[in-house]
Amino acid sequence: MSDGTRKTPVARSPIHPPDPTEVDRGWIVSRRESDAPVRLSDASPTVKVVVKSDRSRFDLAYGRARWEHQRLVIGSSPGEWTIIGPPGEPLGSDALEAVDAVDITHGRALVRLTGEAAPRVLEKVCAIDLSEPMCPNLAAFRASVANVVTDVVRDDREGTRSYLLSCERSSGQFLFDAILDAGAEFGIDVEGFQVWCSPDARSGAASDL
Amino acid sequence: MSRRLPSQPGEVIDRERSIEFTFDGRPHRGYAGDTIASALLAAGVTVLSRSFKYHRPRGVMTAGFLDPGATVQVDDEPNVRGAHRRIEPGMVVRSQNRWPSLGFDVFAANDLVGRFLTAGFYYKTFIRPQRLWPIYDSILTRFAAGGEVSGDAPHAYYDKRYVHPDVVVAGGGLAGMTAALAAGEAGASVLLVEEEYELGGMSRYDPAGLERLSSLRKAIADRPEIEVMTNSVVTARYDDNWVAILQRGLPDVHERLVKARAKSLVVAPGLIERPFVFDGNDLPGVMLSTGVRRLINLWAVRPGMRAVVMTANDSGDAAIRDLERAGVEIGHVVDARQGGMLVRAGGRKSGVRWVEVDGGRRIRCDLVVTAVGWTAPTALLNMAGDRPVYDPRAARFFPSRLPDGVFATGWIAGDGSDDELADHAAAVGHEAARVAIQIGRSWQAARPWAAPVDPAAGLEGREPPVLDRHSHPELYRSSTHGVIDFSEDVTSKDILAAAAEGYDSIELVKRFTTATMGPNQGKLETVNAVAMLAEARAQTIADVGTTVWRPPYAPITLGALGGRTWEPVRVSPMHSWHVARGAVPLVAGQWIRPEHYGNPLREVATVRSGVGIIDVTPLGKLDLRGPDVPRLLNLVYVNKWSNLPVGGVRYGVMCAEDGVILDDGVTGRLGQDHYLMTTTSSGAATVWEWIENWLQTEHPDWQVHVTPVTTGFASMNVAGPRSRDLLQRLVSDIDLSPESFPYMAVRQGSIAGVDCFMWRIGFTGELSFELHVPAGFGLHVWEALFESGADLGVGPFGVEAQRIMRLEKGHFIVGQDTDGLMQGYSAGLEWMIKLDKPDFAGKPELVWQSTTDSNRLVAIQPIDHLVVPPEASQIMDGPHAVGRVTSSRFSPTLGRSICLGVVPPHLSIPGTIITIRLPNRTDAQARIMEHHAHFDPEGSRLRV
Repeated sequence: MSDGTRKTPVARSPIHPPDPTEVDRGWIVSRRESDAPVRLSDASPTVKVVVKSDRSRFDLAYGRARWEHQRLVIGSSPGEWTIIGPPGEPLGSDALEAVDAVDITHGRALVRLTGEAAPRVLEKVCAIDLSEPMCPNLAAFRASVANVVTDVVRDDREGTRSYLLSCERSSGQFLFDAILDAGAEFGIDVEGFQVWCSPDARSGAASDL
Repeated sequence: MSRRLPSQPGEVIDRERSIEFTFDGRPHRGYAGDTIASALLAAGVTVLSRSFKYHRPRGVMTAGFLDPGATVQVDDEPNVRGAHRRIEPGMVVRSQNRWPSLGFDVFAANDLVGRFLTAGFYYKTFIRPQRLWPIYDSILTRFAAGGEVSGDAPHAYYDKRYVHPDVVVAGGGLAGMTAALAAGEAGASVLLVEEEYELGGMSRYDPAGLERLSSLRKAIADRPEIEVMTNSVVTARYDDNWVAILQRGLPDVHERLVKARAKSLVVAPGLIERPFVFDGNDLPGVMLSTGVRRLINLWAVRPGMRAVVMTANDSGDAAIRDLERAGVEIGHVVDARQGGMLVRAGGRKSGVRWVEVDGGRRIRCDLVVTAVGWTAPTALLNMAGDRPVYDPRAARFFPSRLPDGVFATGWIAGDGSDDELADHAAAVGHEAARVAIQIGRSWQAARPWAAPVDPAAGLEGREPPVLDRHSHPELYRSSTHGVIDFSEDVTSKDILAAAAEGYDSIELVKRFTTATMGPNQGKLETVNAVAMLAEARAQTIADVGTTVWRPPYAPITLGALGGRTWEPVRVSPMHSWHVARGAVPLVAGQWIRPEHYGNPLREVATVRSGVGIIDVTPLGKLDLRGPDVPRLLNLVYVNKWSNLPVGGVRYGVMCAEDGVILDDGVTGRLGQDHYLMTTTSSGAATVWEWIENWLQTEHPDWQVHVTPVTTGFASMNVAGPRSRDLLQRLVSDIDLSPESFPYMAVRQGSIAGVDCFMWRIGFTGELSFELHVPAGFGLHVWEALFESGADLGVGPFGVEAQRIMRLEKGHFIVGQDTDGLMQGYSAGLEWMIKLDKPDFAGKPELVWQSTTDSNRLVAIQPIDHLVVPPEASQIMDGPHAVGRVTSSRFSPTLGRSICLGVVPPHLSIPGTIITIRLPNRTDAQARIMEHHAHFDPEGSRLRV
């Protein structure tokens, strides 16, 4: 064995992390802080599993999402659910038994867009009606965002509009850059990896993987 | 001499902010809020442009968005509406369509021969001989009007926005504002769009209406559900109230195209004042009543010193009052309601000097004002399917039958007092909101997860009151002829000439004369053109009808249509490594791949003699699970899959129903019911859709789940005789010996501490291992491989080297060596196609093909080793092209040129000498080879 095997494997997000960075739970993440009115953060290190089943095991309709403890369960398409949880924590559970669960952690880029003007930012790159009646909190849909096929979940944070956007990993940096471009007029800024938790559990810690 | 007036009650200029700019190189000064035209006119500049065809001097006419006499170039932007665009510090404004200067324009000679340049002149003169068209084209292009765009012009920021208001109100005059307020109060979200910089419409320049306007503005500002877009224009209405809005003047955004999905559309554009047709009506100093009112009340500019006013309505009367207040001497009033008539005007380049009224009396003046009627801008209603009807008593068109969800209010709908119009607008706004809210509730009720919503519940309807139609004299042309289309230099004589030539439809006259086809798209010109045709044909205006107003209502820049360039690119986890090593990028679909790292031939040598690594992440990858996967594979591939063991890998080719090759790749069995399929990089999405289509439509009973995982894995192929040596340094839990890990097998283990799938396959013809590791660890593994293999001479190789080596091995590439007609047997797949399978996609066609002779994909070697026929070179059979070279390269391994190509059956026999036509029209001889593989046809290098 050469030195190459002795190095601890380090996972990298598809989105270049701005300084300062550190390695946590095997991922290089940014610790950049921002108090901008609209913030974009990379949440790609989260564990992501897609579950397919002919029967609903989650009692959750397509187009809706629900927090279960620290996991976000999304009805991502008919007969398909996506579960997102904290980095490094396996998502195995009774609900995943006897169904096809495929780990897509490394296959999807995930970003979070937060701020009162977040809908205005998305309006520039996404044609979906983001109004409250049509897209309430925890609504989920798949749409073109800057011409990238993207899964969108509205997941408000402490009463502030927030959206999770997930796309194929290979387009992650493009999507990230496109949202930054769209958000420039609203003062968008990049912030580091945010603690992954349900809104109820958010403690206010800046970032704690 | 300055024409700036003392402060006016409704003026929009900020006298505390002086702005300097230049016009044709001369410095000028205006105030913030001034338009280019108002600032120049205030400075005494009366000629702002030259006309399109005759290069006649033109000045301010409407002092608004539609002013045809104030088209200028601003910095690097041509064709700017100078009567709308506000001045900015340092702005460089130039007149356009003149040479060498605005004051002395050589092309004004056109005016002297104008009688020869009537409608149809170009069509008739330059039609023959056809061989001279290029010459005509080059000459006429020099006469084309318009400004200039520098090739160095910086790309401005244009973007788009998608909005979903309940109600869009097009027009921010009193009626539009009132309708928006009513809709907002009823609970609707409203987008109120106004062409000018401020809400208010005509009331902005009516001192008597300022108080009401101020109140309305405040009420709207207090309602957060109403979004106001000023300096914007609703430029199109499509089905289901898909409304396009061009928004200007945003910070850091040059123009924005707003795409609104409105549930209701309220059209409240007001009316556009119509010019009067008489000899000299395009002289600088001839203005519309609304034009002079704008100049006086909005920008405090005195439009002239001595005016003659022809009035037929309240607007003309109000203009007289404004002029008098501004200190303009009223030289004469022609009251058309009393039968008065303005006959002609005359003057010099700088402007009008006199007018002749009925009775032959000439009156000295420098300003002629006309107020002869209105045009209803029904464009948006036309786009919604309405066919407006002309009312001769009111001398204008009115809406006839509006579709559901489209409403009209304000002057376009009828006449009345301010209160009557407000009542109508309020009722329309309420009704628009009611309809929109009902639609919204029905949409909410349709959501699969929606809470119960009663779509029938909602507001009560409110019937708008019926508006009156005030009588107005029909005034279109005097006893003399003049300009009808000021943008295109079309005169009333041109319309008559067109009618005389037999053009009896206004649509044909429009195209023959180009009337209404200029930047204003008929807003000033249409009704006059219709009236002229009616006069020529002794018909009524109602009989002639109007042209069809199509999108866009106002011209849109290409930048706004294009918006931001969202062309997604895809990169692998090792992309940064490639960039750092100077890889030459290859755009392959959306993927950015390394084509080579400087010398693809050296990269080939590295692989053939040692070990090389290529990033193959773009390979499509589908995770297949379920007990029925073998049935699926048997269906979509032409070969058999039932007996693939766990740990086995098999190559397969897919054909469509017509037997044409769709895709190829390898599939490995990872577990009892778990498979990983790879596809071509470009075919990943197609294959996924293809499989899902079969599963969802033909075999929904099969238990198969398909998950695309292409980018979930970083994929790399370690190839070359030393590849095993390299991997053994990083892999501890997989026995890499050929006995334990033979060719066409898959193993799971770890490499450099990272879980991986490892396949023994290869596209290069060498011993090779394809690794698939979780994408986030891709760079870690990639770097570990190069670090560990430094002493082995490991090097990266790109797509070009891979293509050379695969051609040496004779592997075809779907889409390059095959095309949309090539069926399975043509690609030499006899060994793979299993017609004894019960069924598979494309089988019936392939059964038929197996009984016929068809073109064949063959390996070709030019007799001259150094001749590399370009791909797509034709293969000749006598004088006929019968085939083509599909791939060709110089093989560094063999030291000669090699090809794949498609030939007819009689030329496909090994040893046949064929002729290849080269681009320089010389021919090269080449030999058909026995095997596709030019190199190592036995595959001995693969199986070590």
